[in-house]
Amino acid sequence: MSGHHPDSNAMFGSYIRVASALFGLTVLTVLAAMDWVPKSWGEAGNTLHIAIGLLIAVVKSFMVFYIFMHLKFDNKFIRAFVFVPIFLFFVLTFALNVLGP
Amino acid sequence: MSSGLSLAHEPVSKVPHGKLAMWIFLASEIMFFTGFFGAFIVLRNSNLELFSHSAGELNKWLALLNTFILIGSSLTMALSILNLEKGNTGKFKLFLGLTILCGFGFLIVKTIEYSTKFGHHIFPWTNVFFSFYFLMTGFHAVHVIAGMIPMTFMFIKAFTKKGYNHPVKVETLGLYWHFVDLVWIFLFPVLYLIFPSH
Repeated sequence: MSGHHPDSNAMFGSYIRVASALFGLTVLTVLAAMDWVPKSWGEAGNTLHIAIGLLIAVVKSFMVFYIFMHLKFDNKFIRAFVFVPIFLFFVLTFALNVLGP
Repeated sequence: MSSGLSLAHEPVSKVPHGKLAMWIFLASEIMFFTGFFGAFIVLRNSNLELFSHSAGELNKWLALLNTFILIGSSLTMALSILNLEKGNTGKFKLFLGLTILCGFGFLIVKTIEYSTKFGHHIFPWTNVFFSFYFLMTGFHAVHVIAGMIPMTFMFIKAFTKKGYNHPVKVETLGLYWHFVDLVWIFLFPVLYLIFPSH
């Protein structure tokens, strides 16, 4: 076993909590995508929908990365394999959308 | 591990080589899906009307069901590793089997979704939104299948006389499986939810 994670009973508890949070946040994503923003908000309403949907997805993904995939317990060096590509994702998206045609 | 030198562990990160290799592979996988998401965002911005109309045709309830299935499978995968590390082979087999079942469940729901689309004469060449829908969900489904192959192999081996006692290998496969769940966590809102309904 490579990680220095807590004992298995504590890990069991963490897994159950993370899975419950993931289920809960999934329901929240669906609720947030419903038509609750006033039509008069126009484009700002759409942006708000997208921002909430993606924010929840980011929170969920960090739970998976840190607990299920043990980033919290493994050597910090491993985190580079997550954060470098995510940084490149933002560079690409920014370049395509803001600087692009 | 007492000394800094070991053949089993990579010296800088102190993780087993296989696990490190999996993380390098996953970094390339993030970039693989990044390309699709980046292109999707750009095309969405220039075809807003088409994208929101087409996304309205998708069945978000089936996608929600698949999200639950995948999160459940991530949990069972984590629990199977935990039980193998504890030497509890019975529960290891149970949870690994459940993970494989969840994988099949996901693929069955995906097949229902695809065949409904084909029944409505919606194909990858129908428009640019559906090209991306089939491309992204298709590649994701291929990843699910790719994960299920070694998982089934481990599951079958666990029932042999020798059993299957390689926690690090299962943990490495677990990393991949959680990543597949992670990709779906983003695909679900991006394809099915974030478009204004009409």
